[in-house]
Amino acid sequence: MPRALVIQLARLGDLVQSLPAITQLRVRHPETQLDLLCPSHLAEVGRLLPGIEKVLEWDGAAWQRRAMAAQQDLRAEHLVEVETMLMALAPDRYDCAYVLNQHRRALVAGSLLAREVKGPLLHGPLGETLTPWAAYVRDVAQRRLGQRVHLADAFCGLCGVSPPGHITLLDPPAVRLPEDLEPIGKHGDPWIALIVGAGETERCVPTEVWRRWITSFLASMPQGRVVLVGTEGERAAEIQSLLPSSALGRIWDTTGRTSLSQLAAILVRCHQVVGSDTGPLHLAAALGRPVIGWYFARARVHETGPYGTNHWVWQAEQGDVDERGVLAPCQWPVDETISLLSHQVPTSTENWSLWASHRDELGAYYVEVGHEAIAPLQRTKIWQELQPSPV
Amino acid sequence: MEYLNQNIERLHHSSSALIRAVKESSGGVLAVVPSREGSPSVMHQGQWVHSAYDPKKEARSWAEQQVKKWKTGELGVVLGVGLLYHVEALAFVKPHDSRLAVVVPDVAVFKDALGARALGAWLNTVQWIIGTPEEMAEQLASQSAPLRFFTYGPAARLHAEAHQRLETDLRRLVASKAGGQLHVAVVGPIYGGSLPIARYVVSALNELGHRVSWLDHSAHHTSYEAFGSFREDRHRLTVQSRFADVLSLSTIAHIAEDPPDLVLAIAQAPLTLAVLQHLRKKKFPTAMWFVENYRHLTYWQQLAGGYDYWFVIQQSECIEALKRAGAAHVHYLPMAADPSVHHPLVLTSAEQQEYGADVSFVGAGYANRRTLLPQWLSPEWTFKLWGNEWDGVSDLSRVLQRNGARIDTETCMKVFNATAVNLNPHSSSGMGLDPYPDFVNPRTFELAACGAFQLVDERTLLTDLFTSEEVVRFRQAEEVPRLIRTWLKESPDRRASAEASRRRVLRDHTYRHRLQELLAVVGMRQPDRIGSILRGDRSTTVLKERAATMPELIPLLSKFPPGQRVELKDLAEDIRTRAPGRQLAREELLVLMLDCYRAEKRDLV
Repeated sequence: MPRALVIQLARLGDLVQSLPAITQLRVRHPETQLDLLCPSHLAEVGRLLPGIEKVLEWDGAAWQRRAMAAQQDLRAEHLVEVETMLMALAPDRYDCAYVLNQHRRALVAGSLLAREVKGPLLHGPLGETLTPWAAYVRDVAQRRLGQRVHLADAFCGLCGVSPPGHITLLDPPAVRLPEDLEPIGKHGDPWIALIVGAGETERCVPTEVWRRWITSFLASMPQGRVVLVGTEGERAAEIQSLLPSSALGRIWDTTGRTSLSQLAAILVRCHQVVGSDTGPLHLAAALGRPVIGWYFARARVHETGPYGTNHWVWQAEQGDVDERGVLAPCQWPVDETISLLSHQVPTSTENWSLWASHRDELGAYYVEVGHEAIAPLQRTKIWQELQPSPV
Repeated sequence: MEYLNQNIERLHHSSSALIRAVKESSGGVLAVVPSREGSPSVMHQGQWVHSAYDPKKEARSWAEQQVKKWKTGELGVVLGVGLLYHVEALAFVKPHDSRLAVVVPDVAVFKDALGARALGAWLNTVQWIIGTPEEMAEQLASQSAPLRFFTYGPAARLHAEAHQRLETDLRRLVASKAGGQLHVAVVGPIYGGSLPIARYVVSALNELGHRVSWLDHSAHHTSYEAFGSFREDRHRLTVQSRFADVLSLSTIAHIAEDPPDLVLAIAQAPLTLAVLQHLRKKKFPTAMWFVENYRHLTYWQQLAGGYDYWFVIQQSECIEALKRAGAAHVHYLPMAADPSVHHPLVLTSAEQQEYGADVSFVGAGYANRRTLLPQWLSPEWTFKLWGNEWDGVSDLSRVLQRNGARIDTETCMKVFNATAVNLNPHSSSGMGLDPYPDFVNPRTFELAACGAFQLVDERTLLTDLFTSEEVVRFRQAEEVPRLIRTWLKESPDRRASAEASRRRVLRDHTYRHRLQELLAVVGMRQPDRIGSILRGDRSTTVLKERAATMPELIPLLSKFPPGQRVELKDLAEDIRTRAPGRQLAREELLVLMLDCYRAEKRDLV
């Protein structure tokens, strides 16, 4: 049986955004065993991806340790050790690796683990020439282009397949929650998961803004509940510290105490998820939860909007921009987001634009509220240019 | 007697010289006293060498601490004999494939240890180093394994002097053998007397074959001076201090872009304590050569704990003061000369006329010189004074050259060479000769390197550096006129003394010698890192020899010239250069993968 390996060594968001490509590879190569290589700490999520037979865990910290040792004192033994580590990971080379990152280590991993590599570079892991799809993704990011093809669909293009005809969702994991979190999703409506932090500080919504949001939400929806999710326990504590006593019993703090599977189980129990552009936001979208993203700093809906339908993204258009191009909003769409939860679409908001997710046979796309969608022909043309042969 | 014979019997694999020396020794140095738990302990001159309560437990605890630093393959060398409890404990916990040696400066102590208690089979696994300090240094230097020293303080105290001599000799031997290529980042000052020294250091390191990144902050001197124009001191100090912070940060940026093996700062280098702590966190070894009088410039107090190694031009009191302030390793490293700069010159008659005199002094007008020099003027000889900061000394105005302008190095060398008797009174803020006459200034070495005759005020550290035949000294200001008179008359003797001093500099006192010693000190403290590079363990030749477990590595190493130092990043760079148009081999991909992770580690700035 042919064996192929999907390599996704980036972060949680990228891993779940790889789902459409994995779905289509499964459809296109039904006879091929499809495995996944992902960072060890994301393996739990990797195992949730339909179509993946086996998850290989990439221990970046172990590589780092060995690199440091080799840097200190280069010895043949260091190469022997990493070779042993690779052999334990994958004793036999794969027929093909689909590399979904442009990072050098993912490309080298592809060349080490498979005989053939499909991905962002045309001529091996040290090549300079990008494949057309990789060049497209880079252009969208570097030239701040508007979105025509969603990143997750571009991953399909990188793998030589077209976008899936339907949205594939992750199956909620069968996992036990801590007893005190069991009531989440019961007795109340709506349950909103709030992602309190972000991997990068610049993408964190100020705690006082979240506090204001929670106060307004609880006031406007008497049966509403808020579940604080993420790893940042201190931020969650800070948010809760000055909340009015009326919030008591309506806030569920799960931060810093759940595994990724438990996080997924909690997200599934919520009606909607609100947060900045983070892994949990994309995980929620992949689990079929409608999400409302606040995109600022360097996050752009055109690059990393949540995949699927029924999602909203607030895109910051104005604010303080530092020398790195990081935009810090001066105001936040607090009440406007609460309106969205009640299915009332705000007409306008100062300094923010609102985008709604859609999908068709060419994949997912976003349309700004009050604007026309990009003509389907334009998107078809891109697919024809970048992937001339039918797939 | 029974223990002694049993233990000597156990030593049967050791050298016959050791056994013979033990048998011939009278012993009786240590006073053996039972400890509370019953095993013998020992006292020397009223102080306990091992615990009075439980020597074995204390030794185990000591060994557990030491073994953390001990890397596989290193030869552990114990300083301190006592009753060998600590050696026994270390022998039991030592890394696999590592050997243990013990320095035995006095066989009598060793005999006492053998006679005090029954020692196990471990006794025979230890290499016992005996002889004079010079002989012991030779034995250690001849070892192929890197040396890792462990000092058991209470016992080592008995032989502090022998250990000191051993270390000095060993350092010299290690320095003379060092052949590997280090990458050293030399951080210089913005301005001042240590700036030329930083340049000599760079030059010496280059001469020794090391790669040097010269972080020359003198380029920023004009800006620094401009910030000094504020009327209020607090404004000036704040702005200049912030400016020094920026330079400190720029040093970090340089280091991040081209990571060195060692960061070597020269006195007045603008490196803040915060930056030094950051460098330590990122595992960059740092050293400071403090070529200043520690009594005059006291900023070392704030930085003492920041540098991993301090090198100073003064001994005992200075070293103790730095240690009290938090410095971990402090070593004496006197000044030197650079023979490519400081050398004899053939002067034209016009130059001789311009720069020459019977007696000269080149230097700044420190307080003590302002009172001393007028005493040494005389109608019996011509006198020229060169240098700046002599304003207001009317007695000297007629001999002051160039209106007291600052003198560059080239002019300085001409004056040294053109003068019959160069005066060299060390600076001091007092009124007479330096009341703390310990360090020897750079001028002493520079004059000597020029083959120029000098009269220098007596220094406590001068005797170890020059004999009185090589450099003539005076103890009182009053002696100087007589000495000038004598030496002006005795031209052949004057020339002989000057030539002898030059020979001595070339033999012992160049910056090349100093840097060899400095690196040897750091190398001995870091045998697995700097020491390993200095021994040439990172060269293609050695790496190829060791590549038996992965012979595929040999062709990659063969791309580099024999003997060249090769690091992971060099291998990766070479692979990247040769990559276009060909399939990469598996071992090349492995190297590239490791290099990806290596390149991510130094997020310094």
